[in-house]
Amino acid sequence: MQKFRLTQGMRGAVAAAAIATVATLGTAPIASARTIDILETGSTLLYPLFNLWVPVYHRMHPEIRINTQGTGSGTGIAEAISGVAQIGASDAYMSDMQVKQNPAILNIPLAISAQTINYNVPGLNNIHLKLNGPVLAGIYDGQIRDWNNPAIQRLNPGVRLPDHVITPIHRTDGSGDTFIFSQYLSFSTPAWNARVGYGTTISWPAVQGGLGAIGNPGMVQASSQTPYSIAYIGVSFTREVARAHLGTAEIENRAGMFLLPNLHTVEAAAQQLVAKTPRDERISLVFAPGKFSYPIINYEYAMVNAHQADGATAIALRNFLSWAVNTRGGNAARFLNQVRFIALPPRISALSRQQIAKIH
Amino acid sequence: MSRPFKPSRIARRRLVSGVSWVLSGAAFLLVAVPLLDILYTVLKKGFSALSPTLFTEVTNGISGGLLNAITGTLVLVTGALVIAVPVGVLAGIHLSEFGRGAFGRAVRFLDDVLTGVPSIVLGYFSYVTLVIGVGWQFSVVAGSITLAMMVVPYIARFTEIAFSQVPNNLREAGYALGLREFTVITRIAMPLALPGILTGVLLAIAISLGETAPLIYTAGWSNFLWSGRLVHEPIGYLTYVIWSFINQPYRSAHALAFAAAFLVIVLVLLTNIAATWLLRRTRPARPAP
Amino acid sequence: MTLKPFRMVLLLATSLIPLALAAIFVFLVRYSWPAIHFNGFGFLARHTWSLGNLYANPTVKHGQQVPIGADYGILVFIVGTLSTSTVALAIAIPVSLGVAVFLAEGLSARLRPLFSFIVELLAAVPSVVYGLWGYSVLTPIIAHDIGPAVRDSVGRVIPFFGGSIGSGYGLLAASLVLALMVVPIIAATVRDGLARVPAETKEAAYALGATHFEVVRRAMLPMVRSNIIGACILGLGRALGETMAVLMVSGGALNYLPNNIYSPVTTMASFIVSQLDSALQDPTGMAVRSLAEIALILFIIAVLTNVLARFLTGSRNVPTI
Repeated sequence: MQKFRLTQGMRGAVAAAAIATVATLGTAPIASARTIDILETGSTLLYPLFNLWVPVYHRMHPEIRINTQGTGSGTGIAEAISGVAQIGASDAYMSDMQVKQNPAILNIPLAISAQTINYNVPGLNNIHLKLNGPVLAGIYDGQIRDWNNPAIQRLNPGVRLPDHVITPIHRTDGSGDTFIFSQYLSFSTPAWNARVGYGTTISWPAVQGGLGAIGNPGMVQASSQTPYSIAYIGVSFTREVARAHLGTAEIENRAGMFLLPNLHTVEAAAQQLVAKTPRDERISLVFAPGKFSYPIINYEYAMVNAHQADGATAIALRNFLSWAVNTRGGNAARFLNQVRFIALPPRISALSRQQIAKIH
Repeated sequence: MSRPFKPSRIARRRLVSGVSWVLSGAAFLLVAVPLLDILYTVLKKGFSALSPTLFTEVTNGISGGLLNAITGTLVLVTGALVIAVPVGVLAGIHLSEFGRGAFGRAVRFLDDVLTGVPSIVLGYFSYVTLVIGVGWQFSVVAGSITLAMMVVPYIARFTEIAFSQVPNNLREAGYALGLREFTVITRIAMPLALPGILTGVLLAIAISLGETAPLIYTAGWSNFLWSGRLVHEPIGYLTYVIWSFINQPYRSAHALAFAAAFLVIVLVLLTNIAATWLLRRTRPARPAP
Repeated sequence: MTLKPFRMVLLLATSLIPLALAAIFVFLVRYSWPAIHFNGFGFLARHTWSLGNLYANPTVKHGQQVPIGADYGILVFIVGTLSTSTVALAIAIPVSLGVAVFLAEGLSARLRPLFSFIVELLAAVPSVVYGLWGYSVLTPIIAHDIGPAVRDSVGRVIPFFGGSIGSGYGLLAASLVLALMVVPIIAATVRDGLARVPAETKEAAYALGATHFEVVRRAMLPMVRSNIIGACILGLGRALGETMAVLMVSGGALNYLPNNIYSPVTTMASFIVSQLDSALQDPTGMAVRSLAEIALILFIIAVLTNVLARFLTGSRNVPTI
């Protein structure tokens, strides 16, 4: 009796599992034969923008299914190379050696992003402290330990800085924010460049009490619950920064001006480098010359293989990317404002279109 | 060497007993309170996204529903269990019934080592070998195999422990009746071991539902419903939503992430309840102690 | 012999486990071979980890192409892994035993399933959610409550528990989160074991005049000793291999060792996750291969800790009842 009931129960379980599977299968629509699938993967900074673009583009072109994934810039580049993804999103351009190894991969800027330097110093979060590259480098390599250090005081005359140890917070995961922050330190401070350098992750000098956090939300969280900390945060998270009542620093640019990132200062910096941007568009926008140039901005790239497996995919990619860099398409303010990105200047947009035309 | 008898000794023993019970209750509270707080946090933050559209629409990247992620999760976990349960249960039986020798010891040892292999290593291993090497691309098969590798050791060990607790005299009684080995194991030992095996399988489901790292490099992620292809098609799952949507600067995406976390916990709760119910149905009430 | 096919199937299924492990091992050795060559043995004792300059042209060192300044020392991560796992198990084992005893013996049969669900749900919480909860709820509590309390009590006797508490992120936070993830594994196994202790055993103990708790302590727990050991080893595996949750609360120490229980740490498993994306940008490939070597070392550590656990508990033959 007992045995019989057991087998009956097990049969029931198997049947239930089978029904669940079939039901799951049943909900899936049959893909139309003419659908073109495009996989976008990579940068978590670009991911939110792609997520704004794709539903709108899909409504205009229902036959093109674009799948978006936020995995990281390095993964984006690697999967564009391996062919697993058609678009690899990246905050960083490819190095010379990577280009030599993979000459078919195009680095196509899609938009411009920026970064804020934020701090949590009780009493001073409502003013904008002034900071520069050497001071930030000193904080992050442990040579400047306290908020009332003379080097910080010199930049902020008249401000009563607290006698308290600074907690520098950095990103533990690979990130475009780390890339442009460490580029700013490297370009502005030769000692940092010699000792640490730049990259999407870097070998952070050991600072007692220094913290690593994950993702921009992790940076906001760690900074807001750690008084006397400092952090670098992607400009898309300005709302979260404001909600956490963190201070935003004015950052010194190459011309010695202290600026906050906004439409004008970011655009000014981009304009400075328009003429210098080469045809393959691999260039850093960090620490640009010019009086009103905000120093920590970058191109956000789509890495695309110029040789696609089939013609239809190539056409779909060309159409989508051309739409994305157009100010009446993906570069329209209604998209970019939501993530606080800046549209490509016309000449850069033209260069990107020239590269897009190479996809076949 | 008997201690001198003291009337207070019994009282002391009672006291120790009482304190110990309080401590064991406190241990329970120590894990129950965080769990309830986690559930509360998840519900509070995901509340604005909890609506019927969760089950009727696919995600559009920052909002929408979670249908693609829910079905994808079910497909991937089913796929993982289809592989892992037979392998794990059979291996567990082998270890318990015939695993006294060197081979058994070695497998038991390696099984424990396998639980210590980080999920990201399994994921990257599958990425290089299955996704790129075999050329399956992001797919259900690559994801399910990876999850299966992750949970097989748990199922095997729980099965083994469950079988080893079946009293030997029951097996001997079976053999004395002239039953074959197969019959003794499946008809006599199995029913008694079933709750333990089920604990292992439920743990396997819980672990595979909650992991992100092994799937990002194998299943990929898809905003669309799965069309039924086993290879060459990425598929969605709930933990991706939790991890990636949290990192987007939109409130709707955050709410969706916590709604996904809530759904994962609810899914595990439902499987637990279903399994308990199934177990009650299939087993006669345990003889009163 | 009619038994043969059945045994064959069992054997076949069983062999899949060592085969899978062997496949992963061979893959890791082959994949990390250039890194094994380049790093030698010294990297185990160095605590500087740097991917080097990925944008300059690479140099050739020890016959291998590597980025300028690349250095793959992993001592920090080995220490992080061992310390978090040890502290996590030190917390989780007594708590799990308490929970298991409470569930199996401290409740009426009606309440038992409900309370058991609560513990089983602990295993259902996704790793990332543990991380989110860990950094938004647990780390402030450590910084303001747990930390000061431990420092002012235990910390007065043992220096490792004293000193600066910092922001709450670190070894203690990672261990507590790991402990929460390990408890359901150990508690569920032991609870199942206790539930199956024969009634005669209990009755015999009662007949000798034991109190209820003494029955549990002296008669029941010894009977499930092997379950406890087996479950602890499984729990250890989970702790060694956990990635996301640890990553989010451990404070991500790089290039320095922890000096007390509140210090930031980095574990090997979580480090692999956090570095993989950047490592993929290394055109020489040495970074990814060094990460694979970390996985290999972690593999060896898992083997060694398993051997040690079996040696310490004197049970090479878990489980035997």
